[in-house]
Amino acid sequence: TFRTGRKRRHGWLYFVASVRTVKTTTWFEEHLTEDNQEYMRKSMAEEYRRQTAEKLNPLKDEPWQRHEWTEGSRRVGLVAVKLGMAPIWTKTGERHVVTMLQVQDCHVIKHLSKEEYDGHTAALIVGGKNVSPFYRSEKQMEMFRNAGVPPKQKIATFKISDNALIKPGTPLYAAHFRPGQYVDVTSKSIGKGFQGVMKRWGFKGQPASHGQTKTHRRPGASGPGGDPGKVFKGKKMPGMMGNIYITAHGLKIWRVNTKYNVLYVHGSVPGHRNCLLKVKDTVLPTRSSTLINPPFPTYFTEEGGDLDEDLYDENVFIHTEPSLTLT
Amino acid sequence: MAFHHLSRALTGLLVDTSFITHQRPFSVSAVVTAIQKMTRVRVVDNSSLGNTPYHRPPRVIHVYTKNGVGKVGDRVLLAIKGQKKKALIVGHKMPGDRMNPRFDSNNVVLIEDNGNPTGTRIRVPIPTHLREKAGDFSKVLAIASSFV
Amino acid sequence: MAVCRKGLHEFIFSLRLLRNLQFQNERFFSASLCRFVGVDNSEPPKFTPPPKPVIVDKTRTGAPLRTFLSPEFIPPRQRINPLKFFIERTDMIRRRKVLDIPEFYVGSILGVTMADPNASGKVNRFVGICIQRGGKGLGATFVLRNIINSQGVEICYELYSPRIQKIEVLKLEKRLDDNLMYLRDALPEYSTVDPDMKPVPFSPTEEVPVNTIKVKMRPKPWSKRWERPKFNIQGIAFSLCLTPEKMEHAQKWAQPWLEYDMLKEYDTTKLEEEILREVQKEMNKCERAS
Repeated sequence: TFRTGRKRRHGWLYFVASVRTVKTTTWFEEHLTEDNQEYMRKSMAEEYRRQTAEKLNPLKDEPWQRHEWTEGSRRVGLVAVKLGMAPIWTKTGERHVVTMLQVQDCHVIKHLSKEEYDGHTAALIVGGKNVSPFYRSEKQMEMFRNAGVPPKQKIATFKISDNALIKPGTPLYAAHFRPGQYVDVTSKSIGKGFQGVMKRWGFKGQPASHGQTKTHRRPGASGPGGDPGKVFKGKKMPGMMGNIYITAHGLKIWRVNTKYNVLYVHGSVPGHRNCLLKVKDTVLPTRSSTLINPPFPTYFTEEGGDLDEDLYDENVFIHTEPSLTLT
Repeated sequence: MAFHHLSRALTGLLVDTSFITHQRPFSVSAVVTAIQKMTRVRVVDNSSLGNTPYHRPPRVIHVYTKNGVGKVGDRVLLAIKGQKKKALIVGHKMPGDRMNPRFDSNNVVLIEDNGNPTGTRIRVPIPTHLREKAGDFSKVLAIASSFV
Repeated sequence: MAVCRKGLHEFIFSLRLLRNLQFQNERFFSASLCRFVGVDNSEPPKFTPPPKPVIVDKTRTGAPLRTFLSPEFIPPRQRINPLKFFIERTDMIRRRKVLDIPEFYVGSILGVTMADPNASGKVNRFVGICIQRGGKGLGATFVLRNIINSQGVEICYELYSPRIQKIEVLKLEKRLDDNLMYLRDALPEYSTVDPDMKPVPFSPTEEVPVNTIKVKMRPKPWSKRWERPKFNIQGIAFSLCLTPEKMEHAQKWAQPWLEYDMLKEYDTTKLEEEILREVQKEMNKCERAS
């Protein structure tokens, strides 16, 4: 009776495990008791919070040499979290919508020299938003450990010019960007699933009535007939829509909150709320003139001096000012 | 106009009936949509053409814009009393930008081909943002009785 | 919502008392200051008008001031970081320190003065009845409706737009409904407001009066089928325009199960208390500083 009982218990366990197949076990779960796990989670989180609150570079060796800003230099970008959208008014009474992006625990993690990266430019790896170390691979953890920063949820690579090097471990802040300049924002767009051509590519579809049989939202013809004898590559077809990386180019920064590290970026940006995105100086040649003497290679809290809590673009209406009188 | 004033002075039911007969010879309670072709409109100036009763309300038969949707300040072509006549939109039911007024009816003012208004008085308030629209409306603005 | 509000009122009774005390102190202080200034002048005694008598209703001195939290302060139910709403709130409080945004409800009569580059005098004033309040945070709006020259006019105002120069409450009252869009289909006298209306005084301590008027509608068709249960409209005299059979027919679209949908529950009582405390603290800070 004992044996059968054990067998039955095993069968029940297997049944439970097969309900959710996507159950991964980590090293911590296998080797630690539950109490220890909880203790680890708490203590690690506190430790990481303390590290980011210090606002200092954890690596104690020599600071790297700094260079002057020159025309054509490419700075590093930031990793930010999308908070949501809000209105903003200009001094002429016009209303614009802005997206609020928060720069959360953003650190430089690694420097890739020309040879290591692609042979043409150097690059910096930047991470944002602290996460639990338990679900990161050992390779990733080693990279974070070398930089002396907590593990990050999102890692982004930015191509930089040779004079814009930053030592790994340096914290990056929203004041890296200044109001009035233009940025490009890259992130993963909201996934729409498998969609037809009308939604995915904006095809016109077919009429609702007038003798249509089972033909209302179909793609129609896919190309000429016997002469090419094939469907050309890149033909717009139904398929998975969204959930790809999209860049919104040339968005103006209206305002920067240095206390909570919030960027107010013009218009909408791809991605759902609370998603992590890359923000960098714009590549648009017509907007490059707005980037005059920015903090280079980035804004350092210890030497940047005391910035105001809010930096505004010159055209933005500040809510502490009296109401407008237009002429 | 005189009848209107008289009825306003009186009380009760007469006011309501005058309002209905005067302002809405057709149903304006339909869904709020843009001014486009075949939209029934209300002529709000005192021109004789727009005020004599007729069994068929004036309709828009063309909108002189790129997208075929008329907003405040756009010109339209009306079919009114069997004639073709140009008109200027001075208010619509569809809500526009915020802080700008929205009206309960689609109002137009009849104009000649050269832009001069046919009537000599506009009975209803005119939105002020008509002034910032491109085009010369000074003669239309001059005959307006009130702005909102 | 109504239940939530009641609970809130009970809870912050003590807070109200505190606020009331502060207000009285301030008033006393300012009056005495005026008198001292008059004595100090060594010039021949000029006629100084006596300070305006403060009319205090003796029976109501103990009554606490009515507390009011504008609905746009309450964040919608979303998975948005609360920091976003906090940052927006600081901006809203900053604006409220400059522009006095009074307490008002749907159904109150308001006069709004707005900067308008196209108007003569560059200022536009519109008086009307508030038929709708919308939006959360800085994007909050309200719609005023009036009938001018027998033409219905509505303007949607942004509450925090810098173009707004003044918001006056001419008559503070509530109606039976939270949305008066049906006034578009009602007889015009129900949305007609005199543009030169004098403000009707109201008490800052008592409950806001509810106007239980039932409006008469124009004959159908209406812009919406207001008799349908999803609108749940109390302020229309349906008996005048619809037969009982039609009213019963409209109940076909009733969804009585929706009120038991626990996923749609959003109890804002706790949140309202916290936000109200925060807003009052910030606003008092400014009063003390000035």
